[in-house]
Amino acid sequence: MFRRILVANRGEIALRVIRTAREMGVETVAVYSEFDRLALHTRLADRAVALGGSLPSESYLVGEKIIEAALASDAEAVHPGYGFLAENAAFARAVTDAGLSWIGPPPDAIAVMGDKIESRRAMQAAGVPVVPGLVDPIDDAEAVVVAAEEIGFPIALKAAAGGGGEGIRIVREPSEIAVAFRTASGEASSAFGDGRLYMERYVERARHVELQVLFDHHGGAVHFGERECSIQRRHQKLIEECPAVVVDEGLRERMGAVALQAGHAVDYQGAGTVEFLFCEGEYFFLEMNTRLQVEHPVTEMVTGVDLVREQLRVACGEEIGYGQADVVMRGHAFEVRVNAEDPASGFLPSTGTVKNLRLPGGPWVRVDSALYRGMEVGLNYDPLLAKVVVWGEDRAVAIERMRRALAELNVGGVRTSVPAALVVLDQSAFRAGEFDTSFLEGLDLSQPHGGRVELAVAIAAVHRHTAARRQALGADRGDRSGWVARNRMDRNWPR
Amino acid sequence: MKYFVRIGDTELEVELVERLGELLVAVEGESLAIEYEPVDALGQVGILTDGMSFGASVEGDGERVAVTIAGHTYHVEIEDERERAAHAAERRATGSGGTITSVMPGVVVALLVRPGQEVAEGEPLLILEAMKMQNEIAAPGAGVVTTLHIEQGRSVGTGDKLVTLRDLEA
Repeated sequence: MFRRILVANRGEIALRVIRTAREMGVETVAVYSEFDRLALHTRLADRAVALGGSLPSESYLVGEKIIEAALASDAEAVHPGYGFLAENAAFARAVTDAGLSWIGPPPDAIAVMGDKIESRRAMQAAGVPVVPGLVDPIDDAEAVVVAAEEIGFPIALKAAAGGGGEGIRIVREPSEIAVAFRTASGEASSAFGDGRLYMERYVERARHVELQVLFDHHGGAVHFGERECSIQRRHQKLIEECPAVVVDEGLRERMGAVALQAGHAVDYQGAGTVEFLFCEGEYFFLEMNTRLQVEHPVTEMVTGVDLVREQLRVACGEEIGYGQADVVMRGHAFEVRVNAEDPASGFLPSTGTVKNLRLPGGPWVRVDSALYRGMEVGLNYDPLLAKVVVWGEDRAVAIERMRRALAELNVGGVRTSVPAALVVLDQSAFRAGEFDTSFLEGLDLSQPHGGRVELAVAIAAVHRHTAARRQALGADRGDRSGWVARNRMDRNWPR
Repeated sequence: MKYFVRIGDTELEVELVERLGELLVAVEGESLAIEYEPVDALGQVGILTDGMSFGASVEGDGERVAVTIAGHTYHVEIEDERERAAHAAERRATGSGGTITSVMPGVVVALLVRPGQEVAEGEPLLILEAMKMQNEIAAPGAGVVTTLHIEQGRSVGTGDKLVTLRDLEA
């Protein structure tokens, strides 16, 4: 096993890797931007190396600085987490060229799967089902108009070099093409330096089902079943679960075999996720994420497997050491992403300082969080603050457990996606397993839910009144005077 | 003391009266028995009301306050009587047309209009990039661009002025 690894990431995923590494007796090196000097990953790793700069483009995205930090701190391997350089084939190559181990798939596999067109070709060749659409990228809106006639509406326009929902636009009629093309292409250019788009049929009422796979360097491969991630907006996931309601054992076996086929086709090694669009029993290859996924904990809860441990073992050359029959799924798990965004106004980003914090606990509740009191939430980094993960013996129990856990959670100072998750968990259609990827966007989240409006309003007014009174009296800032209000004087109430 | 509390689409009137060291609370004229005890200086509060107990939390001072009860966060805007009068006067002064402000922090990646330009309702004025997404900011109504408050490449915060339009008829 490695003696020391560098974690080339920040936030909850850096902590996630640090935790397993520590349990395995592997030392960790954190890297941090100036902004993250006091971040939890910086403080909890065994060592920490400053990258300088505050923007990702000056720190976590600068491969040379990270490799330099790894060499200077005597690390043997680099774990990229997700995002940043995790799916950058050139970085993976540079890491191995520097004599370090890369805790991820081979650079060539990253390159093929990272390119929507190439991966589509490779998957078609390997007999993996794909969505109808154009194989070649498109660089002007006129060509989209012509091709749309053949493929049929609605159409999805996606960045040729994209991922994670960036630069994706859905077009329902020809008149929308010009605007959609301009914005999607603009986003793709600014995010990836490549404004070319890929177009395909948009499969409506689709569900998002993905298979977790693991390949070792000796030809061994297993899958860990599926996750369903259909509760999403703008292609960013909010609630994930394992297993999927729509997948039974027979289908799991077939989809698992297809997912392993997809990995074998690109000589995959390490952990990865094969994403499918699922529609009425049919499934189409969407993309392969050549890294650990944000939502990997739901699989861990149901299979009892530590996926980061498996990544480290496989990366240092160990065999998987067990077969498909040894992977047993038990019960049901949910994950809710705590993002810094405001569901009441279309999930716009929210910024601020986290002053007030209460995290949930109790049986079968796991919180993967990078939050701490005093943390600044800015615009330069991913909005994911924490993930709440629960396990239950069945789906209904897990739903109630998640509602219970979220009711305990309180992140003050920024708005979060949690109220939206609570609304979803409350819907009878969701509870019955009847939903698709448009479910979340169909909910009205603009009005307060939770049914305690009068109480909330009263608390807010008392809070404000207390603050004003304290200011007026010049009382100590730490003063914690409470109020008791009784309604026994009702008859004397001034009208 | 009267407070006007806006939450979602509704507005509720809360009246607070201090009497003999106790606080009387009424929401829309309905008296509410509430015991309000701060746990710390950060926003955790212990609430007892009508025999029910809540570990709530409350953040923000002044006009914007967030209250979290059992995982649900209620974002409210509070005005006292003086502020309410001031805001009403302000609204009367601006009329239609007016200034478009940013509803989110972000970076202006493209400016699509020039001062003096006539724009139709829904016409894109600029593209604002936030959290890696590009968002077209469109004209809320037909008008003439009178002022650009921003430049391409500039960061803006929530509430910052973007573009001022004048009504075509004006």
